[in-house]
Amino acid sequence: MEQFLEILSPHFLLRNAFYAGLIVGLVCPQVGIFFVLRRMVLLGIALPQVSNAGIAFAFLLHTIGWHFLPHMESEKTMALTGSIIFSLIAIFTLAILERKRKGFTENRLGFTYVLAGAVSILFVSWNPYGQTEVLSMLKGEIVSVPDFYLWSMLAVYGTIFICIVGFHRNFVVVSYDSDMATTLGKKVVLWDILLYLIIGIIISLGVMTVGPWVIFGFLLIPPVAARMVVRGILPFCIVSSAIGTAASFIGFYISYRFDLPTGPTDVAVLSSLLITICLGKTIARFKR
Amino acid sequence: MNTDNCITLENVAIGYGGKVLLKDINFPLKAGEFAVLFGPNGSGKTTLFKTILRIIPPIHGTIIYGKGSPTRFGYVPQRQYLDEIYPFTAEEVVLMGTFGTRKPFCPTSKTDRLLVEQCLKDVGMLDLKKEFFSEMSGGQKQRILIARALATRPDILLLDEPITGIDIIAQKKIIELITELHKKRQLTIMMITHEVHHIPSWVKKIIHIHHYKVVLGSLEEIISLSRIDEIPTQE
Repeated sequence: MEQFLEILSPHFLLRNAFYAGLIVGLVCPQVGIFFVLRRMVLLGIALPQVSNAGIAFAFLLHTIGWHFLPHMESEKTMALTGSIIFSLIAIFTLAILERKRKGFTENRLGFTYVLAGAVSILFVSWNPYGQTEVLSMLKGEIVSVPDFYLWSMLAVYGTIFICIVGFHRNFVVVSYDSDMATTLGKKVVLWDILLYLIIGIIISLGVMTVGPWVIFGFLLIPPVAARMVVRGILPFCIVSSAIGTAASFIGFYISYRFDLPTGPTDVAVLSSLLITICLGKTIARFKR
Repeated sequence: MNTDNCITLENVAIGYGGKVLLKDINFPLKAGEFAVLFGPNGSGKTTLFKTILRIIPPIHGTIIYGKGSPTRFGYVPQRQYLDEIYPFTAEEVVLMGTFGTRKPFCPTSKTDRLLVEQCLKDVGMLDLKKEFFSEMSGGQKQRILIARALATRPDILLLDEPITGIDIIAQKKIIELITELHKKRQLTIMMITHEVHHIPSWVKKIIHIHHYKVVLGSLEEIISLSRIDEIPTQE
């Protein structure tokens, strides 16, 4: 109980990490629902890996003295830029290929995942000086989140949250029935571009903060769990975010209480929630 | 009844990626008229529908839409193309019909809620408004999709194979519903089908896609044309 109250205190030493986790838990599921509903879950695996490659590449450039930002800029800003550039290039290339119906989606995403994974490792191995820092970032060490980073995250994730909620109807109708959306006068391509842009940014920033598979966990598991227990799209969105936020809170508490790494603990909590819901549903069906 | 043309197709050619599927399409659709677009599977019926709906552009020719304000379409797609992973209730599916007039960031208005209720009532599905759309029968889903199209307050209702893949009783009820919408509301309707016996006997205008050509005729003429195809040829 003492530790629980300590976490809630405004003077808590790791408060930035705690708040960052809550923001990820609240906002990621709102984007994740479109991964699940549009059946793009594999993209949710491939893109964080691409973002990873971008981070490793930016660090490599920084180490060998090649800068695409002024030299005095911190490595983190450079890594974020690398992450965003790689993610956006990948997502728009994949979206164009999808529209042109070139080959199979699964093959493209599988190839993207394996290529991004391999080049990430190569970039890190070519970079002996930055290895420790890059690896800690890729593992998702949520402990050290500077003030500036937290505020930036709040601004970006906050804007994304407002966009997703405000334009909810457009994203839903364009995703569900693009032909109907066109007859209603919606610019389907523009809404798709905006959604892809949001996905690219949320993953890039999220990977920098909590690591690739934690971000994937928060994108995927809350909507999958919510879909099992609710009826209707609005409750589905609300419950997804509620599950994400609750898992982030519980995960942080457990990791602090038992001195465990936060990212994996969050994913373990999310997975436990999903399994509990699955079991509950099975038992309820069996009883009926 | 208003006799102005709702849609006029003049020398239209349709297809995908510059590849012509059908050409020399010429026909008008008058306000309050009921037309059936009939032809075998893969003949280009849905492509023609999508061209009329402005989903894909015509390769050649002109489509003239009504007079004055832009034409509002109520589109009923083939329900099997709608993914069942979406956790929509029937009410939410119908509400989608109002999205064309709603501004972002505004909550659903009371007017829209009332409109949705009315549309559900019109198709006889008000009692099932809180049910999961994906768990409904084919006939029920079709009614909900018709209600969604009605919620757009359409000038023209376009239905793509509305009774394909549902049982005979549900087919009969859907046809009765469409007939009622046409006769009581004077709604302009265009319906796709690939089976002659799905065409209501009272329909006068049938647009028939026959051997890559679009011909207009009555039900009798279409049936006789179809029978000619059935006569075996000697080689």
